[in-house]
Amino acid sequence: LSEHEPRGPGSPRLVITGLGAIGPWGAGRDALASALTGSRTFLEPFGSSGPSERLLGFRSLGLTAGEGAGWTGRADDASYAAWVPARAARRMSRPSRMAVAAARMALAEAGLANAGSAGGDGEPLPPDFEGAEAAREAMAEAAVVLSTAYGPSSVTEELEEQILLRNPEAASPFLFAESVANAPAAQVARLTGARGANLTMTAREAGTLMAVRQAAGELEAGRSAAALAGTVDEITPVLQVILDRFGSLARGRRAGEAPTPRPFDRRRSGFVTGEGATVAVLETPETARRRGREPLAKIAGSAGAFDPTAPRHGWGTGHWMLGRTLRRTLERAGVAPTGIDLIVSGASGSIPGDRLEALTLRAAWEEAPLPPVVAPKAVTGELGGTQLAVAVLALAGAPFGPTPGFRAVDPELGVEPWSDRSGGSFPRPVRRVLVTSLTPSGTAAFLVLEHPAP
Amino acid sequence: MRAPPRDRARFVISGLGAVSAYGWGVDALWNGLLSGRTAIGTLGCFAGEGHRTDVSAEVGDPPAGLAERYPGWDELSRAERFALVAVDEAVGQAGGPDGGRAALIGDAPELVGVFFGGSTAGMVESEEVFRPSGEISEGDRLRAHELRMLASQPLDVPAATVARHLGAAGTVVTVSSACASGTQALGVALDALRAGEVEVAVVGGADSLCRLTYAGFNSLRVVDERACRPFRAGRAGMTLGEGAGVVVIEPEERALDRIGARGGRIFASLLGVGNSCDAHHMTAPHPEGLGAALAVERALRDAGLPADVSTLAFLNAHGTGTPLNDLSEWRGVASVFGSDASRVPLTATKASVGHLLGSSGAIEAVVTALSLDRATVPPTPWAEEPGETVDPETPGRLVLGEALRIDFPDGGAEENRGSVALSTSFGFGGANAAAAFGRVVPRPASRHGADP
Repeated sequence: LSEHEPRGPGSPRLVITGLGAIGPWGAGRDALASALTGSRTFLEPFGSSGPSERLLGFRSLGLTAGEGAGWTGRADDASYAAWVPARAARRMSRPSRMAVAAARMALAEAGLANAGSAGGDGEPLPPDFEGAEAAREAMAEAAVVLSTAYGPSSVTEELEEQILLRNPEAASPFLFAESVANAPAAQVARLTGARGANLTMTAREAGTLMAVRQAAGELEAGRSAAALAGTVDEITPVLQVILDRFGSLARGRRAGEAPTPRPFDRRRSGFVTGEGATVAVLETPETARRRGREPLAKIAGSAGAFDPTAPRHGWGTGHWMLGRTLRRTLERAGVAPTGIDLIVSGASGSIPGDRLEALTLRAAWEEAPLPPVVAPKAVTGELGGTQLAVAVLALAGAPFGPTPGFRAVDPELGVEPWSDRSGGSFPRPVRRVLVTSLTPSGTAAFLVLEHPAP
Repeated sequence: MRAPPRDRARFVISGLGAVSAYGWGVDALWNGLLSGRTAIGTLGCFAGEGHRTDVSAEVGDPPAGLAERYPGWDELSRAERFALVAVDEAVGQAGGPDGGRAALIGDAPELVGVFFGGSTAGMVESEEVFRPSGEISEGDRLRAHELRMLASQPLDVPAATVARHLGAAGTVVTVSSACASGTQALGVALDALRAGEVEVAVVGGADSLCRLTYAGFNSLRVVDERACRPFRAGRAGMTLGEGAGVVVIEPEERALDRIGARGGRIFASLLGVGNSCDAHHMTAPHPEGLGAALAVERALRDAGLPADVSTLAFLNAHGTGTPLNDLSEWRGVASVFGSDASRVPLTATKASVGHLLGSSGAIEAVVTALSLDRATVPPTPWAEEPGETVDPETPGRLVLGEALRIDFPDGGAEENRGSVALSTSFGFGGANAAAAFGRVVPRPASRHGADP
């Protein structure tokens, strides 16, 4: 067992050295950057690809493809298939494959695995890998902290179908093993040899930031020199139906028309679902430097919070308390609100959710004007953790197109999503990005990233 | 990125709560454990539906009057009910006899966090909606109460329900790393306490039996047709249970200040938590217990303790009762402590209350803290079973039949020299966790209240 020194106050900030992302828009940072400028929401009707319509919930709950709620942003399996060793992929659920692919993308960028050769054998490192010793040492105790809002839903639904509609003896052991929420994190560890902490956290959409936070804690405590942190989620018909029945989803203006999420718009009607995986490699700056890696971002601060005013099935109204926590998060990070150049907001088009988001930001900024705000869920849909990837891209100078569907500011919110085509004083380079994630369960999380240059 | 870490502050457990097949409350759990009789019985909640086995450790109805204390009880999932009752018991103890919640939380709700581990949340309620004999028929739309049942399914619901109930506004997170979840939640909470992010951590887990896990474990052929018998030569698998365990953890000085003014008690300290991953197989443990050993070593290191058997008072083992898991666990422990491992008293709570899956680490934390507090290791049932423990070459010192009285060195000292207990949890996917708990020296009676 090696032991790393715990990091005390004043230690250089932890860094992100690799990033993998998969979503309805494709796979990899270039595809995401392109999507952010395209001003379109990636949606398709259920049944046009992907899961069959035979699943019990889909049938028994009466949803038919083509309804407003029958639209989702589905990740194209072909877009990431090359990142998962074929033999291993056969023994994985779809969420596990997405998580492994995103993890291997991130590790490849960080120089911590040979996954850069897509379609590789899944072994952690070849013996002649440059910097192999340092990389091996980092991976041997690397932590894996993933989050999921709803777990591996497709295998869970299929397993329940076997148990409930056939008989319990029909339950598939493979499906059961892959139905546990931590199956993707376990598969990531199995394919990368990461023997550090292996945690799966659930905090709805805030889970991505909570995972980054916990992974950072593993590094700060000296338990690991590297960590994989992120999220994976998939959308299934049953989940889509349930979200629709709660009135959460955006609707098209006419029957058969794709919905538009419209974050912060006064006509917003709900969010659209997306799916995918986002994984970042976190390291201590010392480890990254020793391996000669240039960081993509520094982690300046983070916090979790809860809004106890949130009812059991809906959004809360505790913006003042969340705003106070956000302000304290910035203080702890040593960043004044005016030092934030961009907010990557979790606003999704939810009527009460976007309201809580806007009022929370205003509570934290008090009388000061908000910096530019972007709402990428209008492009990527809810779930999949893309916000983290968008924040890293923003630090790298990625441009933002107009927010799809946004037309008119909601006067109560007073937030107009920023785009590079709408003019304004958008600072380049972006030095500090705040990522926010509030959820209807009451859970919230904040993350502050900094540009890697001194 | 976080606040300056506390200077090796000690974090203590000042409240305990439990719901188990023995009954609703810590007293029921403790008395049941001491009886040496298992709470495992015949499956009742979905018997007759064609499952391969028919044993479980099921929680009975709540005592009269309990449900009435909770508005909306009927809308809550079983897991949420277990969680709320256990939390109120723990918070009531920690806050003292007069209005425990207000005394514990004070005027800084953002410094109160909820850290839960769990596996099933409202799964059994969702199953009721989807069953062919359930209330939904082909083409029907969901009705309001069915929506409420489905809304309880996400894994983070019990923790969110608890946070809402308490008015907590700090970090609220659910760990769902299969059977390691509860112990991992202890580690996440300890990190948050050490970093000063929270002043009070309500840590635990709540899970209910459901068809998916019952049929799922049976599909793997790892369920004993009888009640489970961890570490015994004739063990043949696990037994599923349900319930909740909750501990309240806070800095020692904070607890003592409140106890001095309002009464209460410190049960034990949480010294350290270690995690690891086998990185080996999705359902089978590493055959030599590599991940288990790493978790134990890391827990001791996190606690600042040597990997020396003289440190330990006892081990509350994961001990599921499956042939492979128990062997792997014991090999891992033996690889850390060598042949001296045979000297460590060993107990396995799952033989009494079944396997609570993601919440097992939580209820076992309750048992471990109580054991240190009362200097007593509860026995593992089935003393009459023939055969030695898991590994003839390094036999474990399984506490059987009767409780073991612990003679702490120096009458019960600090967190070393025979006053430390380990609790281990290992889950699917090779997720492993171990927690080190310390005996806390009893203070003068004026600073401590009576037993719960």
